[in-house]
Amino acid sequence: MSSDIAKADRALISRIEERDADALGLLYDRHAGRLLGLAHRIVGETGEAEEVLQEVFLWVWRSASGFDAGRGTVLGWLLMATRSRAIDRLRARRPALRAGLRAVETVPDAPSAQDVEADSATRQWENVCRSAIAQLPDEQRRALELAYFEGLTHQEISEKTATPLGTVKTRVRLGLMKLRDSVRPYLPPGTHGT
Amino acid sequence: MAHNERFEELVALRALGLPMGADGAEFARHLAGCPECERLLAELREAAATLSTTVVPLAPPPDLRRRILGSLTEAPRAVARPRPSIVPWMLAAAAALLVVIVGLDDARLRRQREELRSRTDDLSARLASAKQDLARQDLRARVLESDDVRLLFLGGKGPQPDARGKVFWSPKAKRGVLLAGNLAVLPSGKQYELWVFAKGKPVPAGVFDADSSGRAVFESRDLSAVDRAENFAVTVEPAGGVPAPTGPIVLVGTPS
Repeated sequence: MSSDIAKADRALISRIEERDADALGLLYDRHAGRLLGLAHRIVGETGEAEEVLQEVFLWVWRSASGFDAGRGTVLGWLLMATRSRAIDRLRARRPALRAGLRAVETVPDAPSAQDVEADSATRQWENVCRSAIAQLPDEQRRALELAYFEGLTHQEISEKTATPLGTVKTRVRLGLMKLRDSVRPYLPPGTHGT
Repeated sequence: MAHNERFEELVALRALGLPMGADGAEFARHLAGCPECERLLAELREAAATLSTTVVPLAPPPDLRRRILGSLTEAPRAVARPRPSIVPWMLAAAAALLVVIVGLDDARLRRQREELRSRTDDLSARLASAKQDLARQDLRARVLESDDVRLLFLGGKGPQPDARGKVFWSPKAKRGVLLAGNLAVLPSGKQYELWVFAKGKPVPAGVFDADSSGRAVFESRDLSAVDRAENFAVTVEPAGGVPAPTGPIVLVGTPS
């Protein structure tokens, strides 16, 4: 993520802490499309994804002071909150879903999907990320996607992919470290140890 | 905990929000004291977030933004004034809960922990406010209970003939506590100012406001420069006070 985007996001969080509702609206305008896409990818249902999005922004309104710039970017924080809530919902219904989870390689059908306008810095950042993901060995990418989008544990990934547990642990670890190495030069200061 | 592959595995698990099982508590303890691990966790969280770029963004329905912004007033505000006696208990309970859930890495518990942290911040602010209140009350109690305390009655004057007041003055503490009633609620930009007379001259003792029922309890600032308080008076002055009285006297007394 570019430093400019991260800096602008942090400024919005500071304004939200001061109870500036317009700042929350601006943060929504910047990231709601991405967050809704993520929530939909995880829960697979439009109405529920919108509920997740609403929960996340109300939580931001209440908890903006909990954001710690030393622990990552605002977008990373928002994505984590969205994913956490979406996976909670997925886990709650997992017994019924377990047998029928969709293939992780495919993007789900989105009834009203459309790309949200992104500025060039955002597009550049996304290209960096996609390139990093594309360079991962297939098995590492698949293990990470199962963990990230479906919240599967090592054990569950092992069972789902018929792979030894130790191998799954290694794939998740190596995959994430490689992603880190690829995007590290683009992370804003304070998010990495350099 | 050594910084080896196993450690990286645990950081990766945490970054992905996956259950850590029996290792969770040990990892949480280690993380709390290791800046290097904090940095790696932040980096791996950002790395995990890159996976979201493979998701197709969706345009939210047009009314969702309005619904969210419209519901903000229903969300709890960050700070509200509590009853002091209950705040330490609430803070202790919140802190105890925080301790209990540290090390647990289930996603729901983690989210609750984030929210609890936010509530703890709120409670810390409330506790600080309550401590200030208690400090003021302690100070007043010390003035009122000091063995040298003197009581002076103040009567209404000028524009507020029905105003009444008492000043408890401690020559040792060099502070006074004013209790007043029947005061008018002043317009914006005006405040009451208490004066203590020493060697025939008024010394500013601080500004205060009356509540909506015309009552005021006010503790003077430290008046250590005053050798002997000869009298007290209250005037109406510009907000923030002035070094010498300019407005009408509304309360004045005579030392007994």
